[in-house]
Formats: sequence, C-alpha cells, structure tokens
Amino acid sequence: MGMTEKFKVKSSKLKVLKTYAFYASALLLFCSIFILSACSPQKEKVYRKSKILMDTIITVNVVSHSAEDANRAIEQAFSEIKKLDKFLNFFSDKSELSEINRNAGKKPVRVSRDTFEVIEKAIHSSEKTNRAFDITIGPLISLWDFHNKVKPEEKTIRQKIRLVNYKDIILDKNASSVYLNKKGMRIDLGGIAKGYAADKAVAAMKRNGIKSGLVSIAGDIKAFGLKPDGKPWKIGIRNSRPANEDDDIMATIELTDMAISTAGDYERYFIIDNKRYHHILDPKTGYPADKCRSVSIIAKDGFITDSFSTGIFILGAEKGIKLLEDMGIDGIIVDKDGKIHTTKNLRGKIEFTKDQQGRKRNN
Amino acid sequence: MQSQDKYRIALLSAYAVAIHSFESLLPSPVPWLRLGIANIITLATLVLYGFRAAMMVTLIRVTLSSLFIGTFLGPGFVMSFGGGVSSTAAMGIIYSIFPRLFGPIGLSLIGALFHNIAQLFLAYILFVQKIEPILIVSPILILLGTLTGVINGFIGGLLIKNIPKKSP
Amino acid sequence: MSSPKISRAGREITKGATTADKILLIALIIISVSGFIFIKKAFPEGTDVKIEVNGKPAYLLPLNVDKTVSVKGINGDTIVEIKDRKVRINESPCPNKICMHDGWIQQGALICLPNRVIVTVTGNKDRDNRKIDAISG
Repeated sequence: MGMTEKFKVKSSKLKVLKTYAFYASALLLFCSIFILSACSPQKEKVYRKSKILMDTIITVNVVSHSAEDANRAIEQAFSEIKKLDKFLNFFSDKSELSEINRNAGKKPVRVSRDTFEVIEKAIHSSEKTNRAFDITIGPLISLWDFHNKVKPEEKTIRQKIRLVNYKDIILDKNASSVYLNKKGMRIDLGGIAKGYAADKAVAAMKRNGIKSGLVSIAGDIKAFGLKPDGKPWKIGIRNSRPANEDDDIMATIELTDMAISTAGDYERYFIIDNKRYHHILDPKTGYPADKCRSVSIIAKDGFITDSFSTGIFILGAEKGIKLLEDMGIDGIIVDKDGKIHTTKNLRGKIEFTKDQQGRKRNN
Repeated sequence: MQSQDKYRIALLSAYAVAIHSFESLLPSPVPWLRLGIANIITLATLVLYGFRAAMMVTLIRVTLSSLFIGTFLGPGFVMSFGGGVSSTAAMGIIYSIFPRLFGPIGLSLIGALFHNIAQLFLAYILFVQKIEPILIVSPILILLGTLTGVINGFIGGLLIKNIPKKSP
Repeated sequence: MSSPKISRAGREITKGATTADKILLIALIIISVSGFIFIKKAFPEGTDVKIEVNGKPAYLLPLNVDKTVSVKGINGDTIVEIKDRKVRINESPCPNKICMHDGWIQQGALICLPNRVIVTVTGNKDRDNRKIDAISG
C-alpha cells in the first residue's frame, strides 16, 4: 500500500474508533445518571415487615443502611418469635406449655430455658401485684366465650377458682422443670408471652448489629434507638372509648429503649344487659375486673409491661399508681369513669389528643 | 430481479423470526413488552433493499413468530405488530425523506423510540386503562430502548457494510 | 424493488455516525432521565392497598380504583373489595368472621388471622401527619 492509502485506512479506522468511543461513553454516562438518580446507598431507612405469628399480627421495624442487613435482622427476629411460639402456645398440643398443662397433678415436666424463664418471671409479677396477675388463670378463662357471648355460671366459676393460684406452680431450677400441683390446673401465658417475645426479638435484632428498631406484637411494643430523622419512636395509645373512626388514639408518647403494653376492656368482650364482660379476669373472683378501662405500662422490659398491664388493670388506679411508683416504672391508667391517671414521672411526656368536645383530657 | 428479491426477503425474514423468537424467551417486567432486537434485520433491509422490503420483512416476522410461539391474534401479537409496524414505518419515512440525515444508529434509535411509544400506547388503550402505570414505566422503557437502539444500530451498520451488493 | 441509488447512500453513511445521530441520542438520554426523575417526584408512595398472605405480598393495588380480588390463604379464598376509596373483606373462610366485622376501612388494616391474610392501607396522609410508628392497645 502507498503512504496516502495507509493514511486513509488509518484515519477511517480512527474515525470508527472515535465513533465507538463516543457512543460507549454516552452509554456509560446515562447508565451512571440512571443508577445515581435511582439509589442513595448511604441513607438510613426504616424497613418494616409484618407476619402473623403467635395468633396475632407482628410487625418488625428496623433502621438500617442496607436492605440486606435489615431483612436479615427482621428474619432473625421473626424466627426468634416463632421459636417461642412453639414453646409457649396455649392452643397448640405440641407446645411445652401444653405438656405442662396435661401433666398437672401428675408429674413435673422438663422444659427449655426460655419456657422456664417466662414462668419464673410470671411468678415474680404475681408476687409484685399480689396475685392480680396470675398465669394459672387458664381454667377460668376457658369458661368464657367472647365470640359466642357465653357467660359461665356462678357455681362453675367457684369450682374452678380453687385451681387458680400461682403458688401451686412448683419450679425446679436444677432440673429446669415445672410442676402444677393440682389436677386440672392450667397455665395461660397470654398475659406475658408477647412482652417476653418482644424482648427476645429486640435482642435478636441487636445481635444482628441493628442500632434502632421497634417490634410490635399486637400492641405489646418494644422500641430501641432513634429513627433516621433522629427522633425517638412515636407510640400511640388506643382510645378505649372512641367516638368515631378518627378518634382511635387517646395519646402519644415518644419512646426509646423502652417497652410499652396496654391492657384494655375493649379487646375481647361482649355486652349483656348493659354490662360489659371482657377477657381480663380477676383471679380472685373469676369475673372481669371492673376498675379500669385501659392500662398502659412503660418499662424497660416487655415481660414487665405485659404482665403488669394486666395486673394493674385488676388492681385499679389507686393501688396501681402506688405500685408503679414504688417500682420505679411508669403507667397510664384510664379508670372505669374515664378519668386518666398517670405516674408522676410521665407528666409532660405524654401528648394527649383533644377529645371530641375540644377538652384536653388531663389529670 | 423479482425472484432474487423474494429470496432475499424470505431469508431476511427467517433471520428476523429467529431473533424475535429468541428475544421472546427473555424475561420482561411487563409481558409482551420486548426490546426489539430483530430491528437489526429491519434496519439493514430498509437501507439495503428499501422501504417496501423492510415492511414486508416486518410483517412476515411478526406474523410467523406469533404463529410459532402461539400468540397469534393474542395480546402479544397485537403489541408486537403495533411496535414493529410503527417502528418500520417511522424509520422508512425518515429515511425516504432524509436519507443522509441519520446514520444506522440514528435510524435505529428512531425505530426503537416509535416501537416503544406504540407499545405503550397500545398497552394503555387495550389493557391497562389507567395512565399512571404507563407514565411510571415509560422513562425506563425509553431508556432501555435507547440502549438497545444504539447497539442495534451499531450491529446493523456493520451488517450493512459487510453485505456485498449483489448477494442475497 | 431495491433501488440501487438508496443502497449506495446506505453504504456511505455507515462509515461513521452523523451529527444528527449524536444529537438524537443525547436528546433521548436527557428526556428519559429527566422523565424518570420527574415520575419519581410526581408519584410518591400514594395511597395503596397492600394485601399480604402468610407474610408474603400478594397484591399492591391503588385505593382509588374500584376492584375486587380474591387471595388464597391457608384455609381458602379471602375476597377483598376496593370501592370508593375504601376497602373491606367481603368473604373469608374463617370461623368468627372478625375480619369482616370492621366493614369498610379507609386507613389502618384488616386482618384475617385464621387465613393468614393482612390487608393494609398504606401511605395514608393522616397517619403520616401524626407520624405514629405503632399503636399499643
């Protein structure tokens, strides 16, 4: 080839290369614009997932930079709850709890550490609330049917009530066993299991490196850390007597590193002859406790808030506030007349919503 | 040279059908919404053998492919027909009026653009009456279409250059 | 059929990209990227109805479009109806029909426990303004 021809070939090859390079860089440019405008990898976000476990709806919220980490922690939290559900489920024949109940009056049952711990803690709550909270209430609760509006007869209640006393639970720490002293006794962990599970779920999330999150097991809530905007988690307390759809929240409170549980007479109930019969029974009478409409407890541990919300509901406002303040934990009690009582420490920390007439509910 | 033209068209259509069918195996967020890689053939046919030839290849491609895949007269067929005809028509018209304005890449981009617009429009009036999801998905679709348009144009250009004048 | 004149022009222009090509490409990129950003801003979360079965999302539907869907839970089909920006569970294979008891909702959720179905109304403005993360009670 001559010099000019070589040059022509070279320059045309160069032109093709230049064209190629131009298009390649244009493509690269729009790919990067596309990717950048679509992702912001460094930002923290709240990841949330709900599942039905423990016969109720459970929501886990996690704050994280990465969806991967968040989902892993969320799944760990759910599997922790699933594990506990297997041990503690009252309605499942295979649970350790059912095993204990079946052997009431017969023999002690060896149980896992979690089950033992829950029952131990429940007994502690019983002691502190002077038997207002008592997990041996199983036989009494079975007598009531809240969906079909069945109220048991007085004499049936009197028969079963002798089976209700936490002191008849015999624990053997060395053997990790639980024995129910009398035949026919039954433990129902419904008043403490969810709070306990919330504690465990949060622990699982923390083990997975999460610094901020919130677990809600049907209203038994535990929150830790701060949200991406730097604020604490905001919890709404349900209004026990809402006037309409929009009136569902009575108050809101900001929480971090705390648990909250609420016991209310509006969760499972029926009304006969203008009298409300709900599911929070007084272990000493066998009938629904009638001193309060709702009780919310705020403390560091879920098992405390859960069990105490039930216990203090039964004790009533006066004894309840005193007990709470003695123990250094907080609570909001709405008594049977609708009057709101709070522990000293909470004043100013709760934001009450205005009720229908525009009056601010207050102590 | 009637028979040679027919032979060419048949061959090109065969290639187009093969490419189109292969493309239909690839996953897509919205079913029946395809990238249009077979446009390479359409483009080459248009530039080398003219508008009529290109349109015939397109029609044959769309019809045969849908018969093979089993979507004939179904929604997939409508989408592919609409997309193919619009894109071929657009490319053909622009090329006829301004043959030197756009290179193969430019023509391919026009083809891809009209292919997408036609499919979005058809999807809207026939299947998804709400404008919202259509609007939400169009930028991404057009972006992807641009990408494939460039690649198609580049390959198409190579094809055009390397097919000797007199052979099929 | 094939015009030799056009073919020759065809071969010439494939030697490189024309200016028009480049302008078109850049214009398309700009249009689609800005369209993308605009769409993201114009259509944020919106108000949707999220239906989950057994923890897995089954449907995500807009609240403003009337529609009835059927989801398969572990006991059978739950029928969810969206109408006039409200949603309700029409039918469900559960013994107590608690999920149907609430009727139509505009915010919050409907839950069919036995069938493992959760229907949530998301992106609700009121909820966002109150910014409550969870409700106790």
